[in-house]
Amino acid sequence: MTRLGAFALLLVVIALPLTVLPSPQLCWLLVPAFLVGGLGVVALSAPVTTAGAAVALIAYAVALLIERPPPDLVVATLLGSALVLLLTVVHFARRVHGAAVSPAALRSEIREWSMAVAAGVLAVGVLTIAGTALRLLLPDAAAALVIVGALGALMAVVGVTAFVSIEND
Amino acid sequence: MSWHPTILNVSFVTLVAWAVFLGAFTRRVELIVVTVPLLVAVAIGRRARPAPAWDLSRQLSAQRLVEDERLRVTFTLRAHTDLPLIEFLEPLPPLVHLERGRNHAFFSLRDGEQAEWSFELRCSARHQLRLGGPHVRLWGPLGLAAAETRQREPATVAIYPRFTALRRLPRPARTQTFMGNHVSPAQGEGIEPGDIRPFVPGDQIRHVNWRATLRLGGLHVTQHHPERNADVILIVDTLSAVGPGGATVLDAAVRGAAALAAGYLARKDRVGLIEYGGVLRWVRPGSGRAQLQRLLDTLIRMDVVFTYVTKDLDLVPARILPPQALVIAFSPLLDLRFVKAVTDLAARDVDLVVVAVSPIGPTRAVVPPSAVADVAARLWTLERRAWFDKLRRGLTIVEWDGVEPLDLALASRRRPRRPRALPA
Repeated sequence: MTRLGAFALLLVVIALPLTVLPSPQLCWLLVPAFLVGGLGVVALSAPVTTAGAAVALIAYAVALLIERPPPDLVVATLLGSALVLLLTVVHFARRVHGAAVSPAALRSEIREWSMAVAAGVLAVGVLTIAGTALRLLLPDAAAALVIVGALGALMAVVGVTAFVSIEND
Repeated sequence: MSWHPTILNVSFVTLVAWAVFLGAFTRRVELIVVTVPLLVAVAIGRRARPAPAWDLSRQLSAQRLVEDERLRVTFTLRAHTDLPLIEFLEPLPPLVHLERGRNHAFFSLRDGEQAEWSFELRCSARHQLRLGGPHVRLWGPLGLAAAETRQREPATVAIYPRFTALRRLPRPARTQTFMGNHVSPAQGEGIEPGDIRPFVPGDQIRHVNWRATLRLGGLHVTQHHPERNADVILIVDTLSAVGPGGATVLDAAVRGAAALAAGYLARKDRVGLIEYGGVLRWVRPGSGRAQLQRLLDTLIRMDVVFTYVTKDLDLVPARILPPQALVIAFSPLLDLRFVKAVTDLAARDVDLVVVAVSPIGPTRAVVPPSAVADVAARLWTLERRAWFDKLRRGLTIVEWDGVEPLDLALASRRRPRRPRALPA
């Protein structure tokens, strides 16, 4: 059952780049992404699924690069949320494989996933409002904002990595 | 209990790094937006958690079982704090199979809630089953952090060998002084009639044999053999064993020894046990149900202990190996040290029966079937048969494959009968 859910999420991750650029050429990237991701889902391996998701992300970047559409934060938020759910579901399925899971445990997990997605969407909304306000204050600074945002995200990654690698008792 | 990040963090961070790199490369804000849910998820995963508290108790359906019987293990978990997701795994010891339920479970409990979890195990071979207690893992939100501990709650269940009651047991050549079920060669009070002799003063009238008296023209009495018990010493060779776990020649020997012990004890005999191997252990001869329990407890612990040292049965005290006892040795006769030990016993005129447990069947069970294996097994059988023919000049050897009923193997035993009456 969890595998089916993970497959559905993988299909969402694969399909979203096609909404940007519905081109057969993009399938040259998306088919390997689906195969690798599908292998990860079948084997219940989060690292292999991550590899497939990374290829799908590259396909999304290629689609954006070729098509150059106006910024669509809805698709990006959907993709980010789908990636969160995909990896979490695969990881959960691996943990509970062959185990007895109480209905309360399943409900608790689904609640956690929903909260995480909702928090992600909320964060995107807040950042979008903040970004729009900043853009109104500082016109013609879109490129610089992207770079600053990227650097900020990169610093956040480093910070999170350092944070998660410290054990707390 | 310490929390540590899981591999899922690496997956999230990898995707964030890819998205940031691609976003910087393509100058598209969407790719930076993709990272936001991922980073929020990681942040949620590191949310502070209160120290968890719970009580876990375990109930076992039995403390003693026979091979292939089922053991029901029931855990009761009571939460003293909220436990969003808690995982339990009771590792299965070797020779134990999960028959029903799961030994791995996930729960989510609120403060004060209680959950019960049970599963059934089938124990396929005799041993001392030790359950150490479950591994416990607490999962943080989204599985991004975990904390592990072990609930130390050791429990032991004795898995006794499965054996069937034997109808015919090897008769001891010599008996002891206490009442029993074996006809003693000596004369005395009993129900087994023996020789007829002329009446002498002091003989009881009820022993007069009237038919012989009428035929011979003088009073004659029937002598009787008393029923006495016997000492039986079982020796199990633990120098070597072959075969798959739970079906080795040692397991077969233990089953045979247990069947004989139960059979002789039921006939009021005293039964002792000697483990001849890397460690020389013994159980003093005794009788009754308590002795059977002692013997079974010793039998289930028997295992091969490798050694180069040759143990001498002369080291065994006489009260453990009485000279008048019937000695029944179980061995695959693979180790010449054991062959020498039983040959020495036979040379001391000990009433000895060697049950040669065939190692060929158990060995074939672990060797892939092939024509070469068939030929090798046949050659091995012939070689052992020829060797046993030589050994039978001084030893009483009974061949047993460990599968057929032990009665059948013992029925094939041939040894010269000793005179029933003691010379006058």
